[in-house]
Amino acid sequence: MLTAFARAFRTPDLRKKLLFTLAIIALFRFGSLLPTPGVDYDAVRQCTTSVDDDAGIYGMVNLFSGGALLQLSVFALGIMPYITASIIVQLLTVVIPRFEALKKEGQSGTAKLTQYTRYLTVALAVLQSTALLALARTPGRIFQNCAADLVPDDSLFRILTMIFTMTAGTGLIMWLGELITDRGVGNGMSLLIFTSICAGFPNGLWNVKAARGWDAFIVMIVVGLVVVAAVVLFEQAQRRIPVQYAKRMVGRRMYGGTSTYIPIKVNQAGVIPVIFASSLLYLPQLVAQLGDTTAGWRQWIERYISRGDHPLYVLMFVALIIFFTFFYVAITFNPKEISDNMKRYGGFIPGIRAGRPTEEYLDYVLSRITLPGSIYLSVVAIIPILALGLFSANQNFPFGGTSVLIMVGVGLETLKQVESQLQQRNYEGFLR
Amino acid sequence: MTELHDGSAVPERETGDDRRETGSVASREKSDRRGSSPVARTSLYFRQVVAEMRKVIWPTRHELTTYTTVVLVFVLVMIAIISVLDYGFGRLMFWVFG
Repeated sequence: MLTAFARAFRTPDLRKKLLFTLAIIALFRFGSLLPTPGVDYDAVRQCTTSVDDDAGIYGMVNLFSGGALLQLSVFALGIMPYITASIIVQLLTVVIPRFEALKKEGQSGTAKLTQYTRYLTVALAVLQSTALLALARTPGRIFQNCAADLVPDDSLFRILTMIFTMTAGTGLIMWLGELITDRGVGNGMSLLIFTSICAGFPNGLWNVKAARGWDAFIVMIVVGLVVVAAVVLFEQAQRRIPVQYAKRMVGRRMYGGTSTYIPIKVNQAGVIPVIFASSLLYLPQLVAQLGDTTAGWRQWIERYISRGDHPLYVLMFVALIIFFTFFYVAITFNPKEISDNMKRYGGFIPGIRAGRPTEEYLDYVLSRITLPGSIYLSVVAIIPILALGLFSANQNFPFGGTSVLIMVGVGLETLKQVESQLQQRNYEGFLR
Repeated sequence: MTELHDGSAVPERETGDDRRETGSVASREKSDRRGSSPVARTSLYFRQVVAEMRKVIWPTRHELTTYTTVVLVFVLVMIAIISVLDYGFGRLMFWVFG
């Protein structure tokens, strides 16, 4: 199995892709550690080491940006603005007729939508960097018990330069992600989130050991392994819909007559719903930051939505995950397209007529199978909150459902892509 | 081949109740839904969910263990690479800015 990794590196074009991906990841980490001009590097270092595990309101976002956010680095905002922008654009395809028309248009329409997503990303990045810098300007607001002055010179020009730098950083990350998707292995966006989470992982693990001793550490590792196995189990589970291909004569040769199946995964949506749900729940916090500290609505948001352990938060999180799972499956899996394709090549599901009934049948199976899938996603995602009660561990619990889900999900996806490329050259892959 | 073509073209022209004859689960379920109470409909939905879940093919024990170990190895390797990178870049930043 391990030799497969070596074999992957021995295949020339695969090696090129893997090294390219690694180079981009290295570049991404470099930018995440590079301080933004105008930030007092020593002060930031002091603060990050003194308050390591209590990121407070920024916990989840800091996790997604791999610690870059609290270091106020060039890539401080990470891919969060892009994720938020793509959620908004995808939601808008349902609401705004023009967007819907664009989506149906095919490739050129999708290109247009991607363009809108990018503009929106830049707008959100400006907004978020402004909010972050407004917070960083006053000492002791990002880090509750650290009084060092993070931004010594807060003249307008300086602040504008910083906003500009962070926005440009977000744009660069967006491009890096697309480069990985195009020329590397795996999906760029998810790989970059994966990188960020991996970066914060050893530290989080160590914090648990330091805070609770070896017993809790070992229990957590065991729980983590169980979660990993559960995620693999559910990601691999699929409902196979049998498809028969009719035999047909083309000229003097026989074609078809084979039987295959359409694999419908229990969790067809992957990790996207969890990412969407957690970034959407972060939005109210972002808005709250801009408001007055004493305002009633802001305190309400801070009490119920910012803290990850409140029942209302858990409830909203679960509801959002279930919603996004159904939503994302509906967006990405098109029963009509599949049934049309089958019809064109003379395929049919035994017992069901081609065309409309096939489409309805696929839709029927999909809408039934997605419910357990979405429940599984939300159960895994709220494990850290359950652990919060059991272990009184903090929110950055490294085996938190969201992080494990993303790590395992992205890992599986990427490995499968490498595997299929290995198999193209008749090599036996990892997953045998 | 011609037969198949006819068969596939027919449902597109016909609409509504004719589809029930095809005997697909989807259309049967549709006729069941008509005129029933929300409670009955939800319970039917959940029964259908259970029925579909029974048809799901789970990975075998062997598959599960190999996939889990492969993913674990991959994630650990990535964490190691990224930690080394972070350490190196951190030292570099400290040297330049600190």
